[in-house]
Amino acid sequence: MAILEIKNVSKFFGGLAANSDVSFDVHEGTIMGLIGPNGAGKTTLFNCITGYYPPSRGEVIFNGRRMNGLDPDKVCMLGMVRTWQKVRPLAKLSVVDNVMVGALARTGSLKVAREMAMEQLKVVRMEHRTNFLAGGLPIGERKKLEVARALATQPKILLLDEVMGGLNPAESEEIIQLILDIKQRGLTQMVIEHDMKAIMRISDRIVVLTSGEKLTEGSPQEVVSNPDVISAYLGEPHA
Amino acid sequence: MNKRVLKGSVILLLLAGLLLIPRFVESPYALHMMILLFLSVAQGQSWNILGGYAGQHSVGHAAYFGVGAYMTMMLMHSKGIAPWVGVWAGMAAVVVVALIIGSICFRLRGPYFVLASIAVAEIMRLSAINLTTLTNGAEGILATELPAFKIGATVVTDFVTKVPFYYIGLFLVVLTLGVTYWVQHSKLGYYFQAIREDQDAAHSLGINIALYKNIGLVLSAVLTSLAGSFYGIYVGFVDPPTVLGLDVSVQIMLICIIGGMGTLWGPVLGSLILVPLSEALRSNLVTDLLVKSGAVSAESRLGLFLKENLSHAHVLLYGILVVLVILFMPDGLMGFVKKLAMRRKREAV
Repeated sequence: MAILEIKNVSKFFGGLAANSDVSFDVHEGTIMGLIGPNGAGKTTLFNCITGYYPPSRGEVIFNGRRMNGLDPDKVCMLGMVRTWQKVRPLAKLSVVDNVMVGALARTGSLKVAREMAMEQLKVVRMEHRTNFLAGGLPIGERKKLEVARALATQPKILLLDEVMGGLNPAESEEIIQLILDIKQRGLTQMVIEHDMKAIMRISDRIVVLTSGEKLTEGSPQEVVSNPDVISAYLGEPHA
Repeated sequence: MNKRVLKGSVILLLLAGLLLIPRFVESPYALHMMILLFLSVAQGQSWNILGGYAGQHSVGHAAYFGVGAYMTMMLMHSKGIAPWVGVWAGMAAVVVVALIIGSICFRLRGPYFVLASIAVAEIMRLSAINLTTLTNGAEGILATELPAFKIGATVVTDFVTKVPFYYIGLFLVVLTLGVTYWVQHSKLGYYFQAIREDQDAAHSLGINIALYKNIGLVLSAVLTSLAGSFYGIYVGFVDPPTVLGLDVSVQIMLICIIGGMGTLWGPVLGSLILVPLSEALRSNLVTDLLVKSGAVSAESRLGLFLKENLSHAHVLLYGILVVLVILFMPDGLMGFVKKLAMRRKREAV
């Protein structure tokens, strides 16, 4: 069943079409990969889906509900949460307080929120950082903190914007395992990623964007063997 | 746990001491200084909720201070309504003002919000000057005769001495500290700080930004208006520059910047420094001390110069102090103290 339907979504900035006529479905419990060269409109699409930009045209349907025009906080309360490509830790709060802010979307009690937060810190294996200031964490842990904080809002779908960007291979591997763990729990995910190897491993389906348009969609094997995708990434072969 | 008990008992002892002071201290001047200190703490703490915790640096808190003060004084002066009734009207008026200001200014972020908050306070000041039928314009309102405060037939106080004001001031301090403590230990405080640290991230985590900013503003404004009403009845006089001027807003903010924004005790520390300092400079205590200690002769050129000028220099010295604090203690005194404590802890390990 499709939990998220993107229907002919376009986003214009003045004369520039950052997204034009993008459509696809994300099915419950799966991981949808979203790839494309720089400037293809991946993050813009995330912003349109999560309420940061209203789509200029088209519809976003989540759980059978039209999301257009809802503010990001309402989107989160309905069960869709995103992380940021450029991490946004609440720098002067401790790690656990950061995650608690997420958990407080579902409870008014600090005690319950703390328990929920500790649970998520365990999921991302950061219990040993509980009382550290978020601003002082290295990049790998900041990325994991983003994920824990988003998970604490108890989402039905998690949108990850380049969680592996800027990480070393060992850290990336850890994130891959984390994403697969989260999938095991039955949570639907949509993942923007540049690392082709990683996206091939985790995705059930992949959508390729280029210049704001959907180039193709399919299983990872279908996508990598598609000559259009290869030329979008590497340019046209010389005749 | 033990540490918490210790902290609690220290605070209770301190409070008991403050409650007993008027029994032993009769000097009206000393009580006056304490009242100014209480007023400053209450002002700073009120601003701290919005500015320190939620990170919305309003430079227009004079609007709430002034509206509270004016409302109480106007009702007392023209309608003979007792201030402890008028104070509620003041708070109600401030809620209305705050919600109007919030709905306009919170569309803006950062420096634009600051500018808008200044503009709104200036509008209030100009209104007070020009709505002469209501506010008596630039002449201000003088109302020094307070009715006696009675419960049933017994007179609780007739406000002849400074003692009742001392206790009202102390009550305001306890109230504002209590509200801040409650905010800090509730969902509100977490949401305020999330908005301060990163508004977009907060928004994505399900926080209704406009709603929580307005809650912060209304809380902060209502407490500021209480402080304003108290100022009005204590001094017995309000006019536009003293309660609605830009320097009132700046003063309120400085208490927190120097003491430490977004901390429970920051505004207390800030007040403990700023109130005595400005009093010492205003009354030229420094020159007197220098002359008395014999370091400077009163008749010498330097002595005369200091006597003549130092009392006017308090704005300058104030400015220098602020610059120094911002340069060397960007998180205020509280932040500095915390940093020292952390360093000691680390060295002990």
